[in-house]
Formats: sequence, structure tokens, C-alpha cells
Amino acid sequence: MSSDQDHLKETDTEARFEFKKDEKSAFETEKGLTEETVRVISEDKDEPEWMLQRRLRALKQFQEMPMPEGWPGAPDLSEVDIDHIVPYIRPDIETRGGAENWEDLPEEIQDTFDKLGIPEAEKNALSGVGAQYESEIVYQNMQERWEEKGVIFCDMDKAVQEHEELVKEHFMTKCVPPSDNKFAALHGAVWSGGSFVYIPEDTTVNMPVQAYFRMNSEGMGQFEHTLIIAEENSEVHYIEGCSAPKYSAFNLHSGGVEVFVGENAHVQYSTVQNWSKNTYNLNTKRAICEAEGTMEWVSGSMGSKATMLYPSTVLKGPGATDNHITIAMAGEGQDIDTGAKVYHNAPDTKSTIESKSIAKDGGRTNYRGLVHIADGAEDSSTSVECDALMFDNDSTSDTMPYMEIQESKVDVAHEATVGKIGDEDVFYLQSRGLDDDDAKQMIVAGFIEPITEELPIEYAVELNRLIELEMEGSLG
Amino acid sequence: MSTQVHATLSEDAVEQISSDLDEPEWLLETRLSALEALEELDMPDVIQTPGRKWTNLDALDYETLVDPLDYAQDKDRIDAEGVDVLSWSEALDEHGELIEDHFGSVVDPQRDYLTALSTALFSAGTVVYVPEGVDAEDVKIRTTMNSQSLFNYTLVVAEESASVTILERQTTGEDIDGDQYYSGVVEAVAGENAYVQYGTLQNLSEESYNYQVKRGHADTYGSIDWIEGNIGSRLTKSSVETRLLGDSSESQIVGAFFGHDDQHVDIAARVWHEAEHTVADLVTRGVLDDEARSVYEGVQDVGTDAWDTSSYQRENTLMLSDESEADASPKLIINNHDTEASHSATVGQVDAEDMFYMTSRGVHPEKAKNMLVEGFFVPVLEEVAVDELREDLDQLIYERLRE
Repeated sequence: MSSDQDHLKETDTEARFEFKKDEKSAFETEKGLTEETVRVISEDKDEPEWMLQRRLRALKQFQEMPMPEGWPGAPDLSEVDIDHIVPYIRPDIETRGGAENWEDLPEEIQDTFDKLGIPEAEKNALSGVGAQYESEIVYQNMQERWEEKGVIFCDMDKAVQEHEELVKEHFMTKCVPPSDNKFAALHGAVWSGGSFVYIPEDTTVNMPVQAYFRMNSEGMGQFEHTLIIAEENSEVHYIEGCSAPKYSAFNLHSGGVEVFVGENAHVQYSTVQNWSKNTYNLNTKRAICEAEGTMEWVSGSMGSKATMLYPSTVLKGPGATDNHITIAMAGEGQDIDTGAKVYHNAPDTKSTIESKSIAKDGGRTNYRGLVHIADGAEDSSTSVECDALMFDNDSTSDTMPYMEIQESKVDVAHEATVGKIGDEDVFYLQSRGLDDDDAKQMIVAGFIEPITEELPIEYAVELNRLIELEMEGSLG
Repeated sequence: MSTQVHATLSEDAVEQISSDLDEPEWLLETRLSALEALEELDMPDVIQTPGRKWTNLDALDYETLVDPLDYAQDKDRIDAEGVDVLSWSEALDEHGELIEDHFGSVVDPQRDYLTALSTALFSAGTVVYVPEGVDAEDVKIRTTMNSQSLFNYTLVVAEESASVTILERQTTGEDIDGDQYYSGVVEAVAGENAYVQYGTLQNLSEESYNYQVKRGHADTYGSIDWIEGNIGSRLTKSSVETRLLGDSSESQIVGAFFGHDDQHVDIAARVWHEAEHTVADLVTRGVLDDEARSVYEGVQDVGTDAWDTSSYQRENTLMLSDESEADASPKLIINNHDTEASHSATVGQVDAEDMFYMTSRGVHPEKAKNMLVEGFFVPVLEEVAVDELREDLDQLIYERLRE
């Protein structure tokens, strides 16, 4: 274990990227993902037997399931060679904290964070083991306040040990079973880290719960699992700070998010992801919403080479509500295929989807959504609004909504527009003294305002900065 | 191989049809290779979401549906001055070269299993040839299917600055019982500055299965407008498509359907913008009652070279019954940023407030509902430029509401 760590320490940034291709890993004797790999992960985490069994079952499903294929216009996943990628899980776990020092981060990432104005403390929090503790201390402080109310917020690996019954009942059983898709199955087999959030009945956590530990060793990993359980009448806003680019040698991120929204509970899940542009971002995120509950998804997808991400909500109880606000931006070489899925399975359920996308420099954005209104979900309503902005002729912007309506007493509306950035608007702003770039940035900022206003101010600022950087072409 | 090929789908049968029509060798060869390709070809694409195909074409039983040599139809062709509206035998005789030039150039004969089947077996159909500069306003084709299966193939060629309006009605004869299969392929070529309007009113028996592909190529300043009215058949799978190949070409696709009982209507409206300054407008409205089901796919594809594109799409479905289902997927595929594109889709029921308003004015609820349904179709009917087609469609809607 330590020799691997030493090996990493010795190599410079570039070599670390190369490392990926060298197939030098703790599992170098094994090709692909094997039962042994899974057993070692589970053993390393000292997991109970049932979790190991779940992992092994997921592995079996993963091996049997086909790649997502036959989707019109789906991103090209042919490069995603599981045999190549999966053996690298082990070094990720072994080395406990990827980059040990801030200085080990690739220069472009450092630059990005400097430009983002991420506070020094946060930089440290992202830079390795020490910082990892630091971030845990932050959580600990928060926990003290919440603990009195019975709120639980901890690392997912820890939750398996300390909140076993809750995890056992909810973990990849009802919400995102491994059988959902090939990458959910992969996730189920090799998941590691992530957040566990439990809000007891009648409890309101009135400040956002933030998770920044993505780059930490315990919470590391491109296979992190987030499990949020909000009991009856509770309320929580969970924010995932994925603005930390997963620059590392791994090029597959396959996270899982499961949210249980109890009766009359309210959960908001916000995330701004900015994976490095060699990352395939293939997540499965789903919420189950009981009667009168409200689920809100707010997401910004900026980075990655290819993203396939369709946060979905099952409106299970009468009067449940689901709102999606998404923004996607694709630059050179990026294929951001994202959208939302809503299943209206009960009467009086409501959903809204608001999607904005920006494509530039040959990037591709696609809204791919599904609205399903089941027979019996009477008096349900849904409205989908997609707007796409395109900067140039090398870019592509697609909209592929699917609507399955099996109930007549409903109100379904879908609307989408695509347009170029308005020459007149740019001209107007220029005539007021702004240069071309500033004018365009201002137009984009206005375009995405409905999203940013849903985010806490620091995230909104960050999102805006990310977009500014992206538009300057200064993000690696 | 995707589907069981019927024993009678043989080279002999194809040769027999070809010889009946007195065809040239090249057409026979085209048919025979389509027949051969059946072994390899898949069913037409249908929309799929996880775990579900929206239209199950594999359920069609060709074994019992298709009998290649038993074809019977009544066909009325009303031509207009200066335009040739001909049966295949006549057309091959008079315009052999023209047909050889264009046949299969718009609709790939081997696009999928059902299209290849149509190419191999078509025995009915019409060629409409509109020479340069000719305006032909009132071409009418009425097809009545009097056999168990019928394969209809229509080729429309409008030369430079020609214009033609074609109205096609498809019905079933009264003397046929049981399941029937109707397959129609329409290829339309609009030359420079030419205008083709092709309206179809499909009212086949509700024991029939209906597969149709209509596709046009529009040259510079050319225009192709489609009107697609679907009332009949048990299952319809119909694709209406235009490729805007010339600068400033245009296309409008107007659709209306009304499904009841266990009817299933799968309609696609697709436009490819492949040149500069092209315009497309797709408008579809449908009503579903009882256990009827609709599947709608709309595609607006803007190519890299399609500068200054305008593309619009609207689809609205009205559901009158809880047992009905409306599925829709309006797709935008945009590869050129100099584009103004939008689409919208809605599904809903008869507006409760409107109902209340009308009943409070003394209108019987049943009548009020009928009026509102008829009113729902008005925006689409208004787009139908052919008076006769609009009136007939209106009449069929009226009758269906009062069945």
C-alpha cells in the first residue's frame, strides 16, 4: 500500500496522468473488474457481510448488462473500457487522497481555483489528507448543532458502520437498484465514499448541508454514493461541491444519488459539477417523493468529456411536487447529455423542468427528458421548458424530450427554443461601451439567471465564474 | 433476420407483378434486391424508452396479412391540364427515363423491412409528372383497397417552377372482412422554385394495418407541404419527411388525427434543413378517445451548412378518455447556431372552464364537448390550404364525434 503511495509521490503531475495508461496498479495482475476486486474494496472498508453480498450481486448484474445503446444521439462511450478503468479503483483507495499536496494538482487546476477565488482554506480542503481532516472538522462542528436534533451527516462509508440499519434498508434497494443501468450496477459493485444525510421527522435544517469532500480519501472516488433520507415534515438543502474538478488519473465518474423525501418533506439537491475534460460522467440520481413532499434538483453541468445524467423523481404520493432546474454548458470536445425524468405515479402531482444550455467551440449539449404520467395520476400537471443558446457553427444543441401520458385529466406542456446569441443584443451592449466578450458574458449571465438565483450566493458566484472562465477558454 | 418472410413472398411473385405492369428490367432488379434484403432488414425504427417500445410493429402478422398476387383496388385519378397523372404501366411507357432517374432517390427502397416489402411488392400506384412551369391545382387520387393487402407507390416529380396540389384519399372497400394491410410509399421531388402540396386523408377500415412513408426533396426556392389526416386503421405507422436541400426551400407538415376504440396512431414529422435560409413549420393536433393511443415524433434537424434557418414545431393532443394514452417526443437537433428554432407540445383534456361556460349558456354537455373538440382542430384545419381536404376532414371529425 505504502509503496504505491510512494510511487505516486515520486511522480510529477504529467507522470500521474501517464500512470493511468501504464496500467500500474494494485490490481495489475487482474484484467478488468473481478469478484476479487470487489471483495478487497469491501474488506478494506471492513464492511458487514450484507454489503459485500450487495456489491457482488451488483457486480454480477454489471457483467450481464449491456452498455446504454441505441439512444438517438447518445454520447460516444466506446472509449469507456471498463477493463481499463476499473483496475484503477484500487490505487484510488490505496493512496487515500489522490493529490497529497496542493502543489501536486495540475497547474491548470490550480489556476482554475485561483481564478475562481476559492478561499485558501477550501484549497487546502481539496488538497489531500490533512485538508481532509480539516473538512471533517467543519462537518463535526456542524454536526454538533444538528446532532441534538438527531440529524446525521457523515461519510457514506462511516454510515455503513454507524447507521447500519438505515443504510441497509435504503441503500440501492428501492430508489436506485443496481439493475437500473449498467453504470448503476458498476456503482453498486465498487462504490466508495459519498454522503449520508438523515433528517428526522419535523426537523428543518435551515442552512444548506454542504459536502466538499469529494477529493478526500474517505470520500474520494468517482463512485461516491449519496443517500439522503428526509423523514416526514423535515426540510433540508444539500449541496454537493463538485466544483472541485476530478482532474485525477481516473476518467470515469459513476456516482449514485438516492433521495427519500418523506411525507410533506422538502429536499433540495444542488450541485455544480466541473469535472476535468477527460472524465466520463455517468451518474444515476433519483428521488422518491411521498405525499405532499417536494423534491428540487438544481444542477449545473460544466465539465467532463461526456456526461449522461438525468436526475429523476418518482412522485409516489398524492400532491407530491418535483422541480428541476438545470444548466449545461459544453465547450470544445464536450458532449453534455443531460435532462430530467419525472414519473407521476399519484394524483395531484406536479412537476416543472427548466433547462438551459449553452454550446460553444464545437461542444454538444442535449436535453433528454422523460415525463411519465401514469394511469390514475389524475389532476397532475407538468411543464417543461428548454432553452438553448449557441455561440458558433461548430457546436450542436439537441432537445429530445419524451412524454408518456396515460391519464387524460392532466396538463402537460413542453416548450423548447434554440437560438444563437443575439447579434442585436451584443450590438446594443457594445454601443453602451462593453467589449464583445463582456457583452456575451453578460447575455449568458442573464440567460442562466433563473438557475443562479436558486443557488446560495457563493454557488451562484462560482457558477458565474465558471461560465466566465469557460467563455474565455481558460478552463483546462 | 428480423421477421418471418411469408412463403409466397417469392421471386416468382415479384416477377409476376413486374410482368403484369410491363416493367423494364431495372425496376424488376430493384424489386428483387429489395426482396432479398428482407432477410437482413429490421422493422422501421420506433421510439423507445427504457423497457418500452412505443409501437410494436413486430406484432404484425405478415403471414396472414400479405398475399402479393391478390391485389385489387378502385382508383380514380383526376388530372389537371398540362400534368400527367398516370398508372405505373402508363407512366413506365411514357416516362421511363424520368422514373428511372427518380425512383428510389428520395425514399431508400431498403430503408427498413416494411419499405423494402413495399418496393418489392407494389402493384398499385400513381406517377404525377408536372413539367416545367405548369400549375396543376387539382390532382386527386382516390384509392379504395379491395383486397387483403395493397402496396401503393406514388412518385411525384415537379420540374422547375411547376406547382401541383395533390389530394389522396385512402379507404377500404366494403366487401372485405378481417385484417388488412395497406402500405404506401410517396416520393416527391420538387425542382427549383417548384411547389408540391400533397394531402392525404386516410380513412381505412379499423381492421387494417397501415404503414406509410412520405418523403420529399426540395430544391432551391422549392416548397413541399404535406397534410396528413389520419382517421381510420387499427394501427398506423406513418412518417412524413422533407429534406430541404436547396437554399431558401420550405416545408410545412400539417397533421391531424382522431383515434378512438383501440386505434393506435404513430406519426412522425421530420425535416432536415440542409441549405441556407430554409424554413419549416410542423403543426399537429390529435384527439384520443376510448383506449386509443398516439405516438408522435417530430424532428427538426438543422445541418452544419444550414445558415439562417427558421424551424418551428407544435404538437397538441386532447385526451377525452382516461384509458387513452398520448406519447410524444418532439426533437430538435441543431448543428448551426444561426438558427431560430422552437417546438412545443401539450397534452390535456377538454378545458373545464370552457365546458362550464358553454353548459352555463344552456348547451348540452355532450354537444359542448363536441364543439370544443371541433374547435380544437380549427388551428390545424386553417393550415389546410386544400378546401376539399379540409371539408372532408372536418366532416370525418364531425361524424366520429357523433358515432
